[in-house]
Amino acid sequence: MSDFLQLGSPNERPRAPRLDELDLKFSDQALAELDELYSHYPDKKSCILPGLWIAQREYGGYLNGEAIAEVAYHLKRSYAEVEGVATFYSMYNTVHAVGKHMIEVCTCLSCQVCGAYPVAEYLKKKLGVGFGETTEDGVFTLHEVECLNACDRAPVLQVGSSYHGPVDEKSIDALLENLRAQEESTVIQMANDIVKVQTGPLKSK
Amino acid sequence: MATVAATDTVNIVINDVDLQVPKGELVVEAVKRLGHEIPIFCYHPRMKPVGMCRMCLVEVGFKQPDGSVRKMPKPQAGCTLPVSEGMVIYTDTEMVHRDRKGVLEFLLINHPLDCPVCDRGGECPLQNNTIFYGPSTSRYIDIKRHAPKAFPLSEYVTLDLERCIQCGRCVRFTEEISGDAQLAFRFRGAAMQPSTFKLTDFDSKFSGNVIEICPVGALTSSKYRFRARPWDLETSEGLCLECGNGCNVWLDHRAAKLVRVNGRTNEAINEEWTCDKGKFGHDYYNSSKRLTQPLRREGDRFVPVSWGEAYAEIAAHLGAKSAALVGSTVSNEGLFCLQKLFKDGFGSENIDHRWTRTLPAAGERVAKRHESSIASLEHKKTVLVFGADLANSQPIVHLRVRKGWFLNETRVVVAHSQTTDADSFANLLLSCKPGSLDDLAMGLERAVAEAQKTDVQGFASFKDTEKTTSVKESALREVAAMLLEGNASIVCTASIYNENKPVETLAALAKIAAATGAEFNVYAEGGNDEGAMALGVMTGRNTHEILQDCAMGDLNALWLVGADPLTLHPSRRLAEDALEAVPFLVYQGLLECEAMGYASIVLPMEAPGEHDGTYTNIEGRVQRMQQAVKNPGDGKPAWRVFSELLVRIKPGRPSFSAKEIMDEIAATHPAFAEATYDKLEKEGTPLKPVIENFYM
Ligand code: SF4
Ligand code: FES
Ligand code: FES
Repeated sequence: MSDFLQLGSPNERPRAPRLDELDLKFSDQALAELDELYSHYPDKKSCILPGLWIAQREYGGYLNGEAIAEVAYHLKRSYAEVEGVATFYSMYNTVHAVGKHMIEVCTCLSCQVCGAYPVAEYLKKKLGVGFGETTEDGVFTLHEVECLNACDRAPVLQVGSSYHGPVDEKSIDALLENLRAQEESTVIQMANDIVKVQTGPLKSK
Repeated sequence: MATVAATDTVNIVINDVDLQVPKGELVVEAVKRLGHEIPIFCYHPRMKPVGMCRMCLVEVGFKQPDGSVRKMPKPQAGCTLPVSEGMVIYTDTEMVHRDRKGVLEFLLINHPLDCPVCDRGGECPLQNNTIFYGPSTSRYIDIKRHAPKAFPLSEYVTLDLERCIQCGRCVRFTEEISGDAQLAFRFRGAAMQPSTFKLTDFDSKFSGNVIEICPVGALTSSKYRFRARPWDLETSEGLCLECGNGCNVWLDHRAAKLVRVNGRTNEAINEEWTCDKGKFGHDYYNSSKRLTQPLRREGDRFVPVSWGEAYAEIAAHLGAKSAALVGSTVSNEGLFCLQKLFKDGFGSENIDHRWTRTLPAAGERVAKRHESSIASLEHKKTVLVFGADLANSQPIVHLRVRKGWFLNETRVVVAHSQTTDADSFANLLLSCKPGSLDDLAMGLERAVAEAQKTDVQGFASFKDTEKTTSVKESALREVAAMLLEGNASIVCTASIYNENKPVETLAALAKIAAATGAEFNVYAEGGNDEGAMALGVMTGRNTHEILQDCAMGDLNALWLVGADPLTLHPSRRLAEDALEAVPFLVYQGLLECEAMGYASIVLPMEAPGEHDGTYTNIEGRVQRMQQAVKNPGDGKPAWRVFSELLVRIKPGRPSFSAKEIMDEIAATHPAFAEATYDKLEKEGTPLKPVIENFYM
């Protein structure tokens, strides 16, 4: 938890970026998606969550200060407000940068009963990192998560948009192998999938 | 309880007492009518309820047709529940007490309980509620959440995160009241922390208020931290004179030293807020640079003299060819006595208190400077803020305008050549090129005239206006239409006199106001500037002329009353030349300053909180401040100096107290007729509108 209680030394305190210093990174596609979002909601405040997903994709999977500031800039909200929203939800990566693939191990009740801890230990050993850490080559980040709502497949891992389970040491080896071979980052892929749903055609009406 | 129209009320029962309350009133407010209390943390009457802390749980039921009461199975949050017909509320049952105990036990799980070293100890809602309703011991034996102590959020606000109970008052304040949205909650659960974006500086003009509304000691004042315990403090009702809004404050002092300024409720002015200038800008009271005794120049040093010697010196040097320049914190009494001293004692009328670039002559002055009271601004349909940076110069007016926008759908139009804080919520922004406010006002006048189909001859075309101001015709027409819808107010401040052609600008705006029925305001800027105007202090030469006369050697003596021309006057050159050239300079002030270097006689002045006096705020409200602390030295209130000197020059009956002077003011100035000390009201007395404008 002390990970989260972030009060640094006041001398190292950053200064809020001024508008003219913001290095805006959103691509044309992202801007078009934002425009699409505006038409889905009554006001720009409502676009904070989907806007953050766009940012998560555009900024390579990690919402750092600049990413949050850029969302706030486009949506005309205060930086603090957008950061508050982003840090509230655990699927936005705001605490530290993540690797190309994020492996999330469910250690909640059903998975635990079905052997989530040995699975987690195996992953830790294999990757050489603990929870919340990224491998040195920057490919894998390991996370512990609460119930993924897939207890029927316990023990379950989430990687990007897909669930894998039940897993054992063999299937984990195969999974890691596949992920290593994969060019595209599943973290970004997942953000993109979500953005696509959110900017897609409105179902009702 | 005020009587309310029967159709808008509902019948409810609170703790077996039947009563009628307005429909939709929150339970937590309704019980106050009986003098009962529901303990709260997150609820604040001036902010929207959020129901975050659960401290306000009460039992609620409904009367059934057979007369019995059917209780809801679970307790309800009194701060989010509006009353409805037949509601039965219990605030004192066993269940309620058990719930409160439970809530407090939870809140205290992570609270460090360091009350003995906490600034809030002694005036802490958490402490009070725990003593009244909380458990006496904790069952929690694990390690508490720990966080760094004393993290400075800004120069003024220090956060002690461990103490935070996550009520969200501070966060909501910056969103709902001050509008800068500087604070937000980061993370969640036990890790939730009120914080600025990436821990940057808490950059707000109203940050001090969060210290007061924090129900625990999490947000503390960096300046007051560990300076006193609340039970050692004495407090006095005070006024803030940092600007002309006239905020009501509590002056908390300990051992005759001012240590803290807190907001005091005055619904007509500041509600309960203060700006940071007022809350933290009181260093001068205890400054080591305070002047403590009269001084006389001897060669290139000052020697202490008695008041009598100082008076004799001044009386010998000042005459018809002397003038006075006044700062903005001199009381009505002081200004009146100064005027009397100069007129009757020296035979001079050269007094001015204005420091803007343009100083309109008597005939050019706007007759009505405050048609809208501060409180009325929140109920306007449209407010046009013209050429004023309200957040900086009129912070409380700024809060009112924003409140109207936030709660009552006031449409706010900001017309300025600079960016201002109000831009962030303005419904329409007319940002014009620097120096083109006058053209903008004329353009607007044309738009109004066209909308009313009156003669527009002699006006610049919209094309030309756009060229000079960069504001489009459509925008001007839109504003005109908004003003014409009625219930509008045009807000300017005296700072417009620093712009190009202010007289023409104001004339155009006055015409717009007359044509559209809008109220028109040119609020004064300094602490008691409105008082100086209402008293008609400036009658002779104006500030610029006085300084020029000094520089040219046409004046023999200049008296600076709490004002340093070197910092106040727009032209430092002129101010320097004047002070250099004038043969005899009296500097009367609180602190040592640069101008003092030119003075022949230096007089210590009492700060506003050190003596009795009245002040007139921008809306013409006369308020009295009584002595809170004692002057650290031999200082005197300005009025006493002037009247003591006057009896020396022209023997007569001296005034002994500020009260007597106020009576004299009331007798001679019709506007002040109701403003004598025995008649002054709690919220201050508005000046009587005078038909014949005596100060014109
Ligand atoms: S710092 Fe104070 S006001 Fe802000 S959330 Fe915590 S307890 Fe509430
Ligand atoms: S406990 Fe793992 S998915 Fe539910
Ligand atoms: S006061 Fe009602 S929930 Fe906090």
